[in-house]
Amino acid sequence: MNNGYAIQTENLGRIYKIRNNRKEAARQLVALQDVNLEVHTGELFGLLGPNGAGKTTLIKILTTLLSPSSGWAKVAGIDVDRRPEEVRKRINMVSGGETSGYGLLTVRENLWMFAQFYGIESKQANQRIKTLMEIVGMADRLNTKSSDLSTGLRQKMNIVRGFLTDPEVLFLDEPTLGLDVGASRDVRSFIKRWMDEDHGRTMLLTTHYMVEAEELCDRVAIINHGRVLACDSPAHLKQTLQHEAIFQVRVYAPQLIVEEPFCQIRGVQDFHQKTEVDAVRLEIILEEEAVLADVINELARQQARILSLQKREPTLEDIFVQLVGQRMEEVEHANVTAS
Amino acid sequence: MRRSVNFRSFFTASWLGWQIESNWTDPFLFATYSIVKPLAGAGILVLMYSIITQGQFDSPIFAYLYLGNAFYQYVPAVLSGVSWTIIEDREHYRTLKYIYVAPVNIPFYLFGRGVAKFITGSFGVVLTLAAGVLFLNVPLDWSIVNWPLFFLTMGLGILMLALMGLLLAGVTLMVARHSYFIGDVVASGFFLFTGAIFPLEVLPNFLRPIGYILPITYWLELIRRALVGTVAEAFPTFTMLSNAQLLIILLVSSLVFGLAAIFVFRRCDHQARERGLIDQITNY
Amino acid sequence: MQMLPPLERKNTGWRLFLMTVLGRSYPRVVGMQRERSWMFFDIFMPLLAVSAYVFVYRAIGAPEEYVGFVVMGGAMTAFWMNVLWSMSSQLYWEKEQGNLALYIISPASMVAILLGMAVGGLFATLLRAIAIITLGSLLFNVTYVIASFWQLIAVFSLSMIALYGLGMMSASIFLLLSREAWHIANLAMEPVYLASGMYFPVKNLGFWAAAAASIIPLTLGLDAMRQLVFETGPTLGFLSVKTAMAILALLSVVYLFTARRLLAYIEKLAVREGRLTENRR
Repeated sequence: MNNGYAIQTENLGRIYKIRNNRKEAARQLVALQDVNLEVHTGELFGLLGPNGAGKTTLIKILTTLLSPSSGWAKVAGIDVDRRPEEVRKRINMVSGGETSGYGLLTVRENLWMFAQFYGIESKQANQRIKTLMEIVGMADRLNTKSSDLSTGLRQKMNIVRGFLTDPEVLFLDEPTLGLDVGASRDVRSFIKRWMDEDHGRTMLLTTHYMVEAEELCDRVAIINHGRVLACDSPAHLKQTLQHEAIFQVRVYAPQLIVEEPFCQIRGVQDFHQKTEVDAVRLEIILEEEAVLADVINELARQQARILSLQKREPTLEDIFVQLVGQRMEEVEHANVTAS
Repeated sequence: MRRSVNFRSFFTASWLGWQIESNWTDPFLFATYSIVKPLAGAGILVLMYSIITQGQFDSPIFAYLYLGNAFYQYVPAVLSGVSWTIIEDREHYRTLKYIYVAPVNIPFYLFGRGVAKFITGSFGVVLTLAAGVLFLNVPLDWSIVNWPLFFLTMGLGILMLALMGLLLAGVTLMVARHSYFIGDVVASGFFLFTGAIFPLEVLPNFLRPIGYILPITYWLELIRRALVGTVAEAFPTFTMLSNAQLLIILLVSSLVFGLAAIFVFRRCDHQARERGLIDQITNY
Repeated sequence: MQMLPPLERKNTGWRLFLMTVLGRSYPRVVGMQRERSWMFFDIFMPLLAVSAYVFVYRAIGAPEEYVGFVVMGGAMTAFWMNVLWSMSSQLYWEKEQGNLALYIISPASMVAILLGMAVGGLFATLLRAIAIITLGSLLFNVTYVIASFWQLIAVFSLSMIALYGLGMMSASIFLLLSREAWHIANLAMEPVYLASGMYFPVKNLGFWAAAAASIIPLTLGLDAMRQLVFETGPTLGFLSVKTAMAILALLSVVYLFTARRLLAYIEKLAVREGRLTENRR
């Protein structure tokens, strides 16, 4: 009985005890706190956040690999901690950068083996393997030993493994990691089609690629430091920034652009620069368009010459900045430095 | 510059090997492991001997087999210490490809990684000797030990074992990870031929030449002569050879094996790089 | 048209169990075909090692039946090695590679996975045991006088069931371990050879030590089998064959039952502490 929800969590929390070596006392790391989610059956739900935000921890709990420290979680209406064996009949998982399988076996053999663990008859398993491999463009690699595959092809094999067992709920943890642009596009297209074909299927996808989340997900939860900061469809999330003005400015500057004066201008919510080959690209979020004049004046004062200026639509990255106060890569950098 | 690369490779690898070897568990379990394993190994032989001879521990044959077994612990320790590094770095830590890409002398790196196992092996040897002297009347009189011969033999022997480990490391580059320590398995095979626990005369004639070819045989004989000269003299295998002659044979056979090891390792190394085996994962 | 129609049926219960055993044994069987170096390390070298102990007995003037004891003991070590290295500590490698997580989230049971590993390794194990018994017996002129063939089969079978039950129990501990798994597996070799009388009649350990060692199924199994195949076996035996069989039957039941419970308990513990996917290298 799942009441129309494929995934539900209430006040879900997870604390790790870690220590760097045997002499050190263990310290606590809060990976998740008070996570409340409801994912409808048939939904493609995204979990977006920087590295270390708690996405993988959440997936591990939902896939019965990890117990919550507090709260509860249900998948297909079944408590993941109390009846994990029932949950496992209905799920599957694919992680980015996986090295699972056996190097001495061929792709077909590896996939067949995993199909056995789900009780799929060999004939049916082989048919599905063939079909899926054709879909991901690896039909000619069925008899290749998996140790001879490149990283990208190996990841495609892992993706096939996830879909092979026709799960009710599929968890994809950064599935396009290691894939080239074309392959990522193919995988995303396959995911959309797979979801469209059967509305009884649910998918939870974690990613830190905004584009992927915007393109695929019906709803997205933004997570940072173990907390869900926002949860809605990408369109609704972006609407919260509609009253703000987002500009992309390319300038030529003889010297480094100093950010502080811009941040001090009233009405500037975010200022971010990125050096390109022959210019500097600025991404600026303003409370209102009128503030742009002050920004241009400051650019002139710093002897920066404007090459182009355009107003753009808000993205999920902008939502993240508004919620967290920093860009995702800045948060990741801070996490790395802190650890 | 070349010399410093070798030393750097060796010493960094020694440090790394010790970090890995000393850090896998808490001190209590580490001590248990280091004590129980060598003593159990010796215990099997002691019991076998005791059952048949009704506990005649004063006999020279007992000292022969006990000392041989004690020092033989270095063989699996060094062989595994050097060769297992390939499996550890390739399939567990997945750093072998980075070691290959770095300006590191690979053989010296492997030797360095074997140092930690040599140290823990030494602990086992000392413990076994102590148990033998204290409880089983092994006739070890420190005042009559030929220390120069002992240290020279030990030095040559460890070098010889390290080179054999290098040969095995080359083979390991080419094969899959099997479930056990290959160095231990090979050492257990050599146990038969090296006069470790019985004189070579006990072997059938057609098998003895294998023992005469292996440098480990001479190494163990010299160790016995250095520590308990009278016991070693009781067995006819090498009575016609003096210590100096045995040392020369040990040196020459070690050199031959060493050259073979270097040759085999280089070939296997080349083959492994040609076939893309350096970063393969072969779990099955 | 659907690009991938939904699955009509997924097997459960005993069918799933058997499919899992078959599935997990497959990589082992195929791996051994494709990487044949194991024959040298797993058959030839152990044969040499066993021979070394035979010659020790010859060097100290032991009666010839002791040679037979060593050959038989050496053959049985193959099964202990299979349990220890191919089943128990193998879980460590599965964890490192990420396979363990995928096994856990599947509906397949861990008992079936472990059994699959053991069954897959059984080919190599049997080959090793048969090689040592056959070649060892031929090379060292070991003669056998089989008192009761059916009792011999029964003792062997019960020993194997109990041994693999013990192996599954210890495998559950390995779910919690990291790198120490290799060392602990290594630690369990010589002490087990010593305590279970691999190379000598176990009754020489004294009654209480031999009794304590009897929790290792190989101890009583070997002791009983030696009594059944060597003429002087009964005089050197620890317990009668019938007593040994009864105890082995009891151990089989206890170990298999405990293994199932322990696996479930430790899996829960590992899930609670997050040990199933960690890489504490």
